[in-house]
Amino acid sequence: MDLLTRQPLLAATALLVPLLVLVSPGWLSLDGVGPCWAVLWLLPWALSDGPFSGACAGLALGLLLDALHPGGVTQVPALLLLGWWWGRMGRRAPPIQRSFSLGLLALLGTALLGLTLMLQWGLLDWMGTREAIQLAGPQVGRRLADQGVNPALLALPGWRWDDLAGSGLRVLLTQTLITALLAPMLCSLQLLLWRQVGSGWRR
Amino acid sequence: MPAWRWLRFVQGPSLRRITPWLLVLLALVAVRLSKGALIADLYAVVSRPFWPGTAQAEWLRSARRVEDGARLAQLEQDNQRLRTLLELQKQNPNRVTAPVISRDASGWWRQLLLGQGALSGLRAGQAVLGPGGLVGLVGSVTPSTASVTLLTDPRSRVGVWVGRTQHHGLLTGIGTGRPVLRFLEKDPQARPGDVVVTSPASTLVPPNLPVGVIQTMDANADPAPEAVVQLIAPVSALDWVQVQVR
Repeated sequence: MDLLTRQPLLAATALLVPLLVLVSPGWLSLDGVGPCWAVLWLLPWALSDGPFSGACAGLALGLLLDALHPGGVTQVPALLLLGWWWGRMGRRAPPIQRSFSLGLLALLGTALLGLTLMLQWGLLDWMGTREAIQLAGPQVGRRLADQGVNPALLALPGWRWDDLAGSGLRVLLTQTLITALLAPMLCSLQLLLWRQVGSGWRR
Repeated sequence: MPAWRWLRFVQGPSLRRITPWLLVLLALVAVRLSKGALIADLYAVVSRPFWPGTAQAEWLRSARRVEDGARLAQLEQDNQRLRTLLELQKQNPNRVTAPVISRDASGWWRQLLLGQGALSGLRAGQAVLGPGGLVGLVGSVTPSTASVTLLTDPRSRVGVWVGRTQHHGLLTGIGTGRPVLRFLEKDPQARPGDVVVTSPASTLVPPNLPVGVIQTMDANADPAPEAVVQLIAPVSALDWVQVQVR
């Protein structure tokens, strides 16, 4: 909590996350999929600043990122949960600085974030299909299906189930992998920075 | 021995005199029988320096280009006139050129961010064109930026048809680099290589914009045939696009 209460301006570095999402440097991507910058920033922040600060940062990041991406899905719950979880871990566990565990945490976090997104799209798909069939009525729905039109196609908000299982899984795996590869490098540097800043005040 | 007299006459020094002429005659017969093989080839070798060079081919090609361009302009004008007659399009289309300032062509969201927004007249739902045809639709706008939902995004659905067979379909992104065309008919008669253009029946997009080329056909897909479409516009390398402002 030291960082957030004593120098809230430091939290403004979180603004780098949406900027990096927009820049999405092509040379820092795996099969075209970039890393999950939110996880790369949130992990060291939460580890060094506790659960409450982590959850606040997660909420703010989620809101910022949802603004950039259209559609009915949100990243807020996953980032909130991750910030809180990593914050608790930083306080209770012995100091985590070894690169391997940072990579592992980033991997788990990215996978969780991707899974919540997939879950939301899956739900929207299921509800959209049901709603479309309800709206059209069973007879019209069947007639559309007879004519070769999937009634759900006309009412869908995002990914469909079979796309999620195919290319969605690929996106999830690639993003998880590239984030976990970058985390040891980027997160340990940030962790070092936050710890130095924090210890400066304690002395 | 009267039968051998002429033979004896030919023999000797006179045979030696006639032989070259006989050879020439044989050669002429050979040329005649081969439809002028040697002569034409000889002519080709001799006249090689005077053949029409690359410059001439270039003139012809540029003339053809000019002709094509003129015909295209004429046809477009004609099409426009007919469409206004039919009142399909109330005003003349107006295009705004916008730079691509952020490109996220793979991942959970497939979108572009343009450097022109509501202040330039952009609105959600307008068609975005790159070199090579339709790229996507404007999803949302801010005063100075606009985010474009690419055709490869799973949220994108655009009505298209195959120009050759005039069968309609729905072009749906599936989260990979190539969208899928789901036909409305059971037997669309399309085949790989067919050009896909936006449907004249669609109200979302301007009619008859080129979109892509059918790469593979799955005629047995349920409930209707599907085709994988390769977009013409290179989405991952776009730097300037045009937005069709109505």
